[in-house]
Amino acid sequence: MLLVVTYSQAARQTLRNACSSHEGTVVRRFGRAALFEETELGALLALRLREKHGGDVQVERTEPFNEFADAPAAVREAAAAYEARDAPSTPYPKFAAGTEHPSPERLRDREL
Amino acid sequence: MRVELADEVREGRAVALRDRDVSPETVAAAVREGEWIDCPEPGAVHERVSPVTADASPSVRPALAAAARSRGLTSPVDDALADARAELAAIDPPPIDHEAARKRVAEAGEREAALDERVAELRGRIDALAGRDGEPGDATDERAAAIRELSEVRTERVAAEQALRDAREAARAARDARDRRLRLEDRVRNLRSAAREHLSAAVAEPFADAVAAVPGEGRVADEPAGFEGDPVTAALAVVRVAAVDAPVVLACDRFDSAAAAADTLDAPVLTV
Repeated sequence: MLLVVTYSQAARQTLRNACSSHEGTVVRRFGRAALFEETELGALLALRLREKHGGDVQVERTEPFNEFADAPAAVREAAAAYEARDAPSTPYPKFAAGTEHPSPERLRDREL
Repeated sequence: MRVELADEVREGRAVALRDRDVSPETVAAAVREGEWIDCPEPGAVHERVSPVTADASPSVRPALAAAARSRGLTSPVDDALADARAELAAIDPPPIDHEAARKRVAEAGEREAALDERVAELRGRIDALAGRDGEPGDATDERAAAIRELSEVRTERVAAEQALRDAREAARAARDARDRRLRLEDRVRNLRSAAREHLSAAVAEPFADAVAAVPGEGRVADEPAGFEGDPVTAALAVVRVAAVDAPVVLACDRFDSAAAAADTLDAPVLTV
């Protein structure tokens, strides 16, 4: 999908207008951002916004995230184990220390 | 005030120009620019209501807020508003433009894919010739050249991608500044609206009295400081509430004379 984020009042207003008149192309609206369908019409809307508002419009392409294909098992298991921890106040670094779960430093350095 | 016409000079707190062929807009502009009308500088109240014409439709609350300020009233959010405005004025986000970098990546990628295909095709031709005991000579040279070119294009593509990554990284800071600007713009808007609410409410009583005192239809509604009725009445009442030094331009048939208007509105006036 196409993620469109606006960074000025004028661009935000234009995005609102575009969303109201092209509901079929809008997957989801947020305050000053929206997700457009990944169609050429979606691209046209996004590019029109950028044409009009330049650097006040950011356009990114997003993909669905499948944790079973995109993230290693160690990360999935660490997330599940941490959310099932006994003490809610334990921060993740402390929780992971001394276990087989990866440390935040290791996670930070590894790209998906 | 002193009004210098081509053939005479008119002076006083109330000056009638109804015998002259001048439009309300021309006279209001002359009050602003001081070219042939010598008078104190007009302020926010004038911006909101002057000239008062038969088809005037001032926004009552903002006009009333300006009138309140002209009387020296302030709102509790004024300091916060000034701070937010100053902060907003100081933000100057750097431009964000990756178009050239994106184009460079796309073009290098396309050329790389085309060359890749060409190398594979030549390889196929060489293999086919070898199978028939043919002479692959030219094809071998061509392939070697294509492989060299492919390696150059690949280097260019990698460099282009790195440049785009750097540009995107740099754009983060620029977007942070834009984020801050947007938040401040929203803050300024909310504070302005809060100030207007406060100020117009602060003169709600004088406004109600003024609506009753000036000629014309209208009444205070949606209290405090809302209005229902003829917009000209609202504009005149705002002028009566305000403390103005510069003449207000009147182009409405509500008064017998310029002097009567100045008396009722308690303001210098120019009638056209």
